[in-house]
Amino acid sequence: MTAQSIRKRLLVLVVLPAVLILTAGTLSDYFTVLTPYRDAFDQTLFDAALAISAHVKPDERGKPALSLPPDAIAVLRWDSNDSVLFKVTDREGAVVAGDRDLGELPAGPENPARGFSTYQGERVRLVTYRVNGEAGRVGISVAETLHKADRTRSRILLTALAVDISQLCLALALIWLGVRLALGPLRSVEEQLFQRSARDLTPLPLESVPAEIVSLVAALNRLFATVQANSNAQRRFLESAAHQLRTPLTGLQIQLELLTEDAAAAPVRERLRMLLEATQRLTHTTQQLLALARSDEAAGLSWELAGIDLAEIVEYTVAERSSAAIAAGIDIGAEPGPAHVQGVRWLLLEALGNLVNNAIAHTPPGGLVTVRSGTAATGSRFLEVLDTGVGIPPAERGQVLERFFRGSNARGPGSGLGLAIVAEVAELHGASVSIGPGPDESGTCVRLEFPASPTGPPPQLNR
Amino acid sequence: MRVLVVEDDPLVGDGVRRALAAGGFAADLVCSAEAAKSAIEAEEFDLVVADIGLPRADGLQLLRHLRNRRRLVPVLMLTARDGLDDRVTALDLGADDYLTKPFHVPELLARCRALIRRANSVASARVRFGELELDSTRKRATAFGKPLELSQREWAILECLVLNAGYIVSKSKLMSAIADWTDDLTPNAVEVYVSRVRGKLNGAAVISTVRGMGYRIDEPHE
Repeated sequence: MTAQSIRKRLLVLVVLPAVLILTAGTLSDYFTVLTPYRDAFDQTLFDAALAISAHVKPDERGKPALSLPPDAIAVLRWDSNDSVLFKVTDREGAVVAGDRDLGELPAGPENPARGFSTYQGERVRLVTYRVNGEAGRVGISVAETLHKADRTRSRILLTALAVDISQLCLALALIWLGVRLALGPLRSVEEQLFQRSARDLTPLPLESVPAEIVSLVAALNRLFATVQANSNAQRRFLESAAHQLRTPLTGLQIQLELLTEDAAAAPVRERLRMLLEATQRLTHTTQQLLALARSDEAAGLSWELAGIDLAEIVEYTVAERSSAAIAAGIDIGAEPGPAHVQGVRWLLLEALGNLVNNAIAHTPPGGLVTVRSGTAATGSRFLEVLDTGVGIPPAERGQVLERFFRGSNARGPGSGLGLAIVAEVAELHGASVSIGPGPDESGTCVRLEFPASPTGPPPQLNR
Repeated sequence: MRVLVVEDDPLVGDGVRRALAAGGFAADLVCSAEAAKSAIEAEEFDLVVADIGLPRADGLQLLRHLRNRRRLVPVLMLTARDGLDDRVTALDLGADDYLTKPFHVPELLARCRALIRRANSVASARVRFGELELDSTRKRATAFGKPLELSQREWAILECLVLNAGYIVSKSKLMSAIADWTDDLTPNAVEVYVSRVRGKLNGAAVISTVRGMGYRIDEPHE
């Protein structure tokens, strides 16, 4: 499970506040527009109240009365959508003129007083203006139903919403784009890491890296350098171990070989021969262990792959082992077909050499050993060693590739490492090893098959 | 035949010197490239056997020194490292052959003899290979001291094999050794000539077939 992506975090952290701010903006826009609109609405009601107040005169009894002709009243009331209502009351609150059922706002600090009321079950906006005129103190209430006002208000709200939603969308798009662009350098570093081969330990360039991840990339580079140094150190160690072990073993072996042949050594010849045999076994095992260690190490990082012609590997191996085969009375042959792979030459030579040594050791005089290479119709390349020897019992064919396993019918001295090295080298090259019966059903056929990928490095060596 | 052994490890150096002496060579041992240089300046050697991993100046430097001075003495390099670079470098610098440690005494002797034989065939007409002796001027060969009845082409085959003893000689190389401009030869013809030569050697040497590669001649095994 991986942690939440930075892009997601950034989007959540930026988008949520942005949505809140824009919502608040929409609301404040709405209310900012609504107040002047309502003031203007109230102003028209107040203007009507003022107009009416000018026509409130005392009657003959000194009581206030509205001296407005019905035509003027009709003009006052006229509106296409809404009903305009009014009421005039005297000091005692008795209705002097107008709509009797219309309510009246109590006197407050504001004159006129403004507010909502209901008239015959319908909500109205009401203004009550109190004035001391010729007819004494009168209250004039003017009201209007809210059809037009409600429509206007919802239009204002819709407009504000439309503008703000489009702003919000634009802002979100810009944020998303910005986050993408801002994280671009991160992705380019990721791509560089993704594309390089696992063997490539050169440091990443620091110039194009954003400041935030410079230390991360620098840490990676330090890690690369450490791995490289360790791998070089291991390689140097193995090289020097090979040298340090082989030189005394060579000396020991030569001296023992000479002593065994020496006439003066006749009384102890049998013991010398045993010493020589033990030394040869020791030498052989040392060789195999070194080869195994170095192929292990090659599976690490420090061996460079090169284009290799398996036909040349076959010819080289047969030429090198031909004298041993001939001395053992074996008919050795090569069938080098063209086959190109990416690999480590000395490891392939080591593997094929082991296979040929095994074949020679397990084939009786007069038998055949054939080393082949080629490219199959499917494009896979192969290396193959066939012999007419004792064969490997089918039940043991899986086990013989394990380290230190020796077949129940294995001949001569052996470390049990030869085929393990073959398996290791094959794996390193992405090749499969198959063991089957030889050409006459009694011998052995060991085949290394390299999958068809003429240019790309084998899978184990890549990422 | 004088051989100079250049090896810093006392056990190996002594072993190689004794092995060469037992093989009929007069062998001298030095422990450094510097000592080898002065030895070669002072005396003639037929072969130099040099370890690559010498202290201070290594075997490759010695080789470069010799080749720069147009010393054509054959050089067999010994190496304890299994990386290929050393061998390739050695061969590029003009080494005639190399042997990877650890090696067996018979292998060492066979390589040394092959190198000296090849060098001598350029300088003189007589070449020995075990119980075989070849005289290039008269195109005659003897086995166990008795002359062999060989046709011209059979002689050419035997000479080509002996000069490359210990190595596989390809059919095409043998073909060009016996080809003249009078007729076209087929690879089958080479097989015929080889089997005729094989039949005439009387066990003085063994010619083996390496299928798909060619032929090689070896001294008979005891």
